[in-house]
Amino acid sequence: MAGERVKESNRSNAFVVSARKRAMQKLAKIAGESILFSVAAFVAVIVLFIFFFVARDAVPFFQIRGFSEFFTSSNWYPADEPGEFGALAIIYGSLMVTLGSAMIAVPMGVAAAICLSDILPFSVRQYAKPVIEMLAAIPSVAFGFFALVVLAPLMQNSGGPMLMWAWWILVSPFLLLAVIVGSDLLTSSIKEEKRRQKSYVLLLILFSLIAVVLLFKVGSVLNGIQILTGTNALNVSIILSFMALPTIVSVSEDALQAVGRDIREGSYALGATRAETIIKTILPAASSGILAAVILGIMRALGETMVVWMASGNSSHIPEPWFNYLEAIRTLTATIAGDMGEADQVTGSARFHVLFAMGLLLLIISFISNFVSERIVVRQRKTLSGQ
Amino acid sequence: MNIGTRKILDRSFTAVGIGSIIVMALALMVVVVPIVSNGIGAIFFTGTVEHRKMLHAEFNRGERQNLASEVASSERYRTKVYEMLSAFDAELETMEPEKKAQYDSKYSQVKTALHALLGPLPGDMVPMLTRFKYGQTRWEKAEEKLHELLYESKWDNSNPDIMGKEYFVSRAVAFEGTSLAALFPYVKNNIEKMLLPEFTVYWGFITDSSVDSHFFGGIWPEIQGTFFLAMGAMLFAFPLGVIAAIYFTEYAKPGFLNSMLRSANSTLAGVPSIVFGMFGLAFFINTLRVSESKSVIAGSLTLAIMILPTIIRAAEEAILAVPKTYREASLSLGSTKWNTIATVILPAALPGILTGGVISLGRAAGETAPIIFTAAVSVGSAIGLADVFSSPTPALSWNIYNLASEHEAAAQIRHVQYGMVLALVTIVLLLNLSAIVLRARISKKLKG
Repeated sequence: MAGERVKESNRSNAFVVSARKRAMQKLAKIAGESILFSVAAFVAVIVLFIFFFVARDAVPFFQIRGFSEFFTSSNWYPADEPGEFGALAIIYGSLMVTLGSAMIAVPMGVAAAICLSDILPFSVRQYAKPVIEMLAAIPSVAFGFFALVVLAPLMQNSGGPMLMWAWWILVSPFLLLAVIVGSDLLTSSIKEEKRRQKSYVLLLILFSLIAVVLLFKVGSVLNGIQILTGTNALNVSIILSFMALPTIVSVSEDALQAVGRDIREGSYALGATRAETIIKTILPAASSGILAAVILGIMRALGETMVVWMASGNSSHIPEPWFNYLEAIRTLTATIAGDMGEADQVTGSARFHVLFAMGLLLLIISFISNFVSERIVVRQRKTLSGQ
Repeated sequence: MNIGTRKILDRSFTAVGIGSIIVMALALMVVVVPIVSNGIGAIFFTGTVEHRKMLHAEFNRGERQNLASEVASSERYRTKVYEMLSAFDAELETMEPEKKAQYDSKYSQVKTALHALLGPLPGDMVPMLTRFKYGQTRWEKAEEKLHELLYESKWDNSNPDIMGKEYFVSRAVAFEGTSLAALFPYVKNNIEKMLLPEFTVYWGFITDSSVDSHFFGGIWPEIQGTFFLAMGAMLFAFPLGVIAAIYFTEYAKPGFLNSMLRSANSTLAGVPSIVFGMFGLAFFINTLRVSESKSVIAGSLTLAIMILPTIIRAAEEAILAVPKTYREASLSLGSTKWNTIATVILPAALPGILTGGVISLGRAAGETAPIIFTAAVSVGSAIGLADVFSSPTPALSWNIYNLASEHEAAAQIRHVQYGMVLALVTIVLLLNLSAIVLRARISKKLKG
């Protein structure tokens, strides 16, 4: 800025410019900058407008019906006369699929991010990144169509065997690892080498037996499960996790990259393996950034409409038992999308405004989580640069 | 822990990471492969003579003489079926009332199946809906309908513990001893001669408008609607986004106001897409009244504010990636700040800005939730450019939902749905692919 000022004064000495013209130039500069500013501020105005207009149509609902019914009852009969507007089951459905997708997407996403930032060589990474971008680019309605037309019939017809195979494929490697590590940890306190090895082998055999029994017992239970409807919370959770993955991977990869080389090299110098370096030093250092990534990913799942609308079954009740992912559920977003068409005809009624109340709820949740994740990222940047 | 275990842990850790990337790639494959393989079937398929009849009648396409000779040769085989039907009609008249009643319902099922397979039977009234005017236009559907004609589907509910099982009973057995019994083997043996299947390439799927809510015809109205909506959104969002990015990178001074504006940007990026739809309805339509009800312009505006944050971020990154030396060189030549931005920085950042724009265009084309309440209708013809201010439009994303979930015969037009999904995914992925290629070029160029 200082350089610019010097330059300007030089120019005014070199060329004789009338005071009027200089004033005009200054005015033009101010005008230009204020135009730029107003465009930039436009975004903030939009955000305020969104809050205002959604809230404006949400408030009448609470004026008509009060708060308690909306949050505590699960009787959702908006079309009745008089209607019932208990959204508890719907809120619960939203939370359920969000949690389900997070349980799939968070471990996978963080593992993939670690892999991308620390394990894979650059040449492979070049091909992995477009895959993630493609996954992010596929329109939600295409995912929804896949969930409804391909995955749902598959689940309904051969859900049990699918669950069994998923259990075997996913869990057996981890069980094997747990057996090896567990027996090693338990025997590590034994000083005498020969006795230690003997008990290690014994424990190994014992644990493997238990693991195999567990695998087959749970597998056969899963195999016997009959999924009554393919459009259920599990289906939606799986698809939503695909959609949340790209966000989680790219944001947490950024967080991992932000952890400097020196920390990594310090850990390697102390003799740690790569896994130990990542788990014990890099992950703690990047943990807040990863948390931000998880929040953003979860928000993507919570705010997603088309997949849940098409493939969640849209039945407004709390599953029995409460963790039964094989039942149809209904979410906030799907309710808004599905009911607005009919409620629009009766603008001004509680039936219309309740949907805006749901929208406001979503908006507030997304605002808070966005705010929190942003704070977290800022704080991480500060601590890392402070070191 | 001993060193061996540590090594195993280390390797398995690597395996988990690589495994999850492979799972992601597989997930992409699992979703894309059925869409592509089935979606192609909307254009390349084995079409029957009914398809060519339909094309001629509805779109005035195909050679009249060829078609006439084809129809004549298929009619030769069909007349025999119709003769059998009338023979059975006559036989029914002579039967005792109880026996007749016994056959009546089964006979009407046969007639319905034949109608679905071959089109209206002689003596039927001319159907009101186009879907009933033709037989099966696609060979694989014709085979399904043939099965329906030959076998009656029944449900075995004898075991109450498990779900009912479907099983099939031959219809020929039911008509044993009547003149109709000969019909079933005859149709089975001569179906190809009656329908004349041949490999068909139907590019009209992309360029035709739909006939009778997508039973026949193509998806042009949807493609055009998607194009209008996405381009409209870009028209609003791109200039605004680039200007805002210039402000943020070149003019904004760090401070409370600036950080507020930035938070606003990321808040806007995090708003659920359905809430944009509600906002569009409440603001653009109910308050500003940009149009009476749903319209392309309202949808475009809604999509525009949805993609605005993405464009701003991409443009900011592109501008920041321009080397500092460019700026300094320009300023040292005595150029003003604005002149530097307009002549040096923006041209250098343009490819990067365009990349962000292209990705946003794809996002706008693929989004459904914001246009549900603001722009989309399920049935409709392609609209003219002049109508964008007043009329809603069908759009790919919305119509995929509509055909798959709300259409009265969703299971019968799976090929159209797959074709639509493929069209949408192709548009979006091509846009993204071009963005990826563009970006790779830029990074190469900047590296020198």
